[in-house]
Amino acid sequence: MNKKTSIFGGVTIIALALMVLMPILLPSVTLATEILIFALAALACNLLLGYTGLLSFGQGIFFGGGAYSASLVMLHLNFGLISALITAILVGALLALIVGALAIRRTGIYFVMLTLSFSQMAYFLAYTFSDWTGGDNGLLDVPRPALTLFGMTISDLQSSEAFYIFVAAVFAIVFVFSRRVIHSPFGTTLVAIRENEGRSSAVGFSTNHFKLVAFVISGAITGLAGALYAMLLNFAPLSNVELLMSENILIMTIIGGTSSLIGSILGAGSIVLMGDLLSSIWPRWMMILGAVLIAVVLFLPGGLWGGILSLTSKFPWKKVKTNVTSEVTK
Amino acid sequence: MNSSYLLETSSLGLDYGAFSAVGNVDLKIRKGSIHTVIGPNGAGKTSLFHCLTGERKPTRGSIHFNGENLTSLAAHKRVSKGMSRSFQITSLFQNLSVRENLRIAAQGRDGLNALKFWVPETANKANVAKADEVLERIKLEKYADRQAGELSHGQQRVLEVGMALCGSPSLLLLDEPTSGMGVDDIPIMTGLISELGKDHTVMLIEHNMRLVMSISDRITVMHQGNILIEGSPEEVKGDEQVKKAYLGESGHE
Amino acid sequence: MNLYLFQVVNGIGLGMIYFLISVGLSIIFGLLNFVNFAHGAFYLLGAYLSYTAVSITGNYWLALIIAPLCIAFFAWVCERTLIKRVYHLPHMYQILVTLGVALIIQELCISIWGPIGKSISPPDSLKGVIAIGEFYYPQYRLFVIAFAAVVALLVWYLLDKTKFGALVRAGSEDAETVSLLGTHTHRLFSITFALGVGLAGLAGVLAAPIKGIHPFVGPEVLGIAFVVVVIGGMGSFTGALVGGLLVGIVQSVMSTLWPQGASLMIYAAMALVILVRPYGLFGRA
Repeated sequence: MNKKTSIFGGVTIIALALMVLMPILLPSVTLATEILIFALAALACNLLLGYTGLLSFGQGIFFGGGAYSASLVMLHLNFGLISALITAILVGALLALIVGALAIRRTGIYFVMLTLSFSQMAYFLAYTFSDWTGGDNGLLDVPRPALTLFGMTISDLQSSEAFYIFVAAVFAIVFVFSRRVIHSPFGTTLVAIRENEGRSSAVGFSTNHFKLVAFVISGAITGLAGALYAMLLNFAPLSNVELLMSENILIMTIIGGTSSLIGSILGAGSIVLMGDLLSSIWPRWMMILGAVLIAVVLFLPGGLWGGILSLTSKFPWKKVKTNVTSEVTK
Repeated sequence: MNSSYLLETSSLGLDYGAFSAVGNVDLKIRKGSIHTVIGPNGAGKTSLFHCLTGERKPTRGSIHFNGENLTSLAAHKRVSKGMSRSFQITSLFQNLSVRENLRIAAQGRDGLNALKFWVPETANKANVAKADEVLERIKLEKYADRQAGELSHGQQRVLEVGMALCGSPSLLLLDEPTSGMGVDDIPIMTGLISELGKDHTVMLIEHNMRLVMSISDRITVMHQGNILIEGSPEEVKGDEQVKKAYLGESGHE
Repeated sequence: MNLYLFQVVNGIGLGMIYFLISVGLSIIFGLLNFVNFAHGAFYLLGAYLSYTAVSITGNYWLALIIAPLCIAFFAWVCERTLIKRVYHLPHMYQILVTLGVALIIQELCISIWGPIGKSISPPDSLKGVIAIGEFYYPQYRLFVIAFAAVVALLVWYLLDKTKFGALVRAGSEDAETVSLLGTHTHRLFSITFALGVGLAGLAGVLAAPIKGIHPFVGPEVLGIAFVVVVIGGMGSFTGALVGGLLVGIVQSVMSTLWPQGASLMIYAAMALVILVRPYGLFGRA
């Protein structure tokens, strides 16, 4: 496999095809935009869960942090589109650095509990400092600045189609970037840590450094997703940092399947669509989500992508299964 | 400090609470030798091994390697100093290919340089070459693309040693390399270790006496946390104290 | 001065409730190596069941007995039908399944009891205040402390002095031992799970007259239980007790000093403990 096909071929082509098809097939372009934004967040979560074996309930911290920081610099400092997004990336990375540095002091289930507790802490922080975050009301009137490059306005991004194209472009860049990360010395070391942390340390890796960098990359991408979400809604709600957001991102990642980045698009797509279709019919639709979660664990442990792979029998089912069950915190 | 020794411990000891697993050990491993540590169960071999690999911090004493004091250096940092270990209980990347197991093990030498996330994993040609070289040396070329978990137990034990070899160590620390191996596979391991002994210093813990006697240059016998005697295989074979130590153990059982 | 004393005593009451929640989580994890992310949801369900029991019978004492038993029974059914199927799976899947259970319970509660929340009043016999010299304190809150202390004593006795406790402790020390116990392991597992979850339900019932019942409180309760366990050390009875009291008192006292930051402080305390003692105050490495 040469390096071109490894990051631009294969699943990257499937991802591009999905990006083209979604706005055509879905009832609204906005819905497609929302799916891509959450696919970004799920993809970042997958880097931690699927590739490093770290189950983080802290993704909402980075998502909300990205949303708040981008909104604040746009509202108060008149930052433009690109600089606001870069701010969100940096803030997401910084928050992930802090949370990660504390959480990776423990492993396994303690790690999971720590990330969950930090997630709660972030919620109370946002709730307490309502001068900055708007508290319960959220930050209102978040602008969606025009896309300008080298002083030239390319698009004002006000139409939902234009914004979709912009988000899709961002997603494509992040997707290719993530493929590069996975197939790098760093990415292969992450997989080694997931597979066997003791051995990774014995062959010379300082595993905590690797976990921390994985956290930072994941936080940066999640922060970016949060900022795009705020621009989509023109609003940065408190629910961005709720535990439920972290849970949702995790659920998307796992339901989609953690053995491939494509899974993250499928997971985000199915959960966002489910929410959109069911919530209007039945406000208690989350009950169905709960049941789906249980069903996936019992009957489809490879997630949707694992299921598709086994259907097309591109890989024998057994192989997918063993790959997935190994990707876990012990 | 005598430069003909690669590794020297002085008064090394490890306590677990009131229990002294390693008492007061002066172990010297000569450059280029195959040096085996034997002893009845509970003699402190594994605890000594843990101190050498950095898994446990010794309670007292020091470890000098290549003239450098590494007594409290973290385990993962010892690889770049030239120390590499294998595990008694096979510890591989089960779902990765044999070649990838070896390449990642070789990548361990890069330390924090392996944090590079913007280049392909094969960018460091030296690691790829190292994996190929070790693959050939441990004679698993045929299985290069198999998942490590699919290998037979004997092959996994060989890969276990191979991964330690990928660190390009000057000292190979092998923890019971034949552990769990069938009688038919043991000669393969014996051959491999004595062949590695030609260009490495090897320190191993081992129970299989036939292997120990046939390949060791020096043997250290441990008993109740301390060194009972050290000598050539012939000297150890004839020693009365050694017989007593081993008989004493079976007498208790 | 009296105000702080008042808040400290409040904190002890809150802490005992946190203890009841966390000790269940801790026992279940110790024996089954299983993390119950539905623990907060069972607390919620316990509170709501007591509300219904009080509305129907008008008797709080009956509710105090019936609701936790119902929760324990429900937990037992859950364990037999669902939870036991995921023991052998990695933690990730256990978390997912219990998260699913938590979502279902929460949404079920909202469908039955509505999204607004409910309140129940303490029994008539405990409605007044008690005076100790200059110090006045609500009777019900004092009752909660005493009652929870008795339960804590019972749990301690059960774990430390009975055959059941010996089995649980043996299993927590070494999973191999459990498998050697033979055919009765599944019963031991079910009972432990039901007991641990039942305690969370009991905590919900005790807390309801003080804190009210809010349908979205589950994740918060779970978060606090995790803080307690991280501070105290997983699998430790003493850890759950000390951690629970510590968290309760800090939260209660802070609510006078800095009301908005009260919840924040307990998470900060947790971060501090991790930095200083990564394995918790009573945890083993």
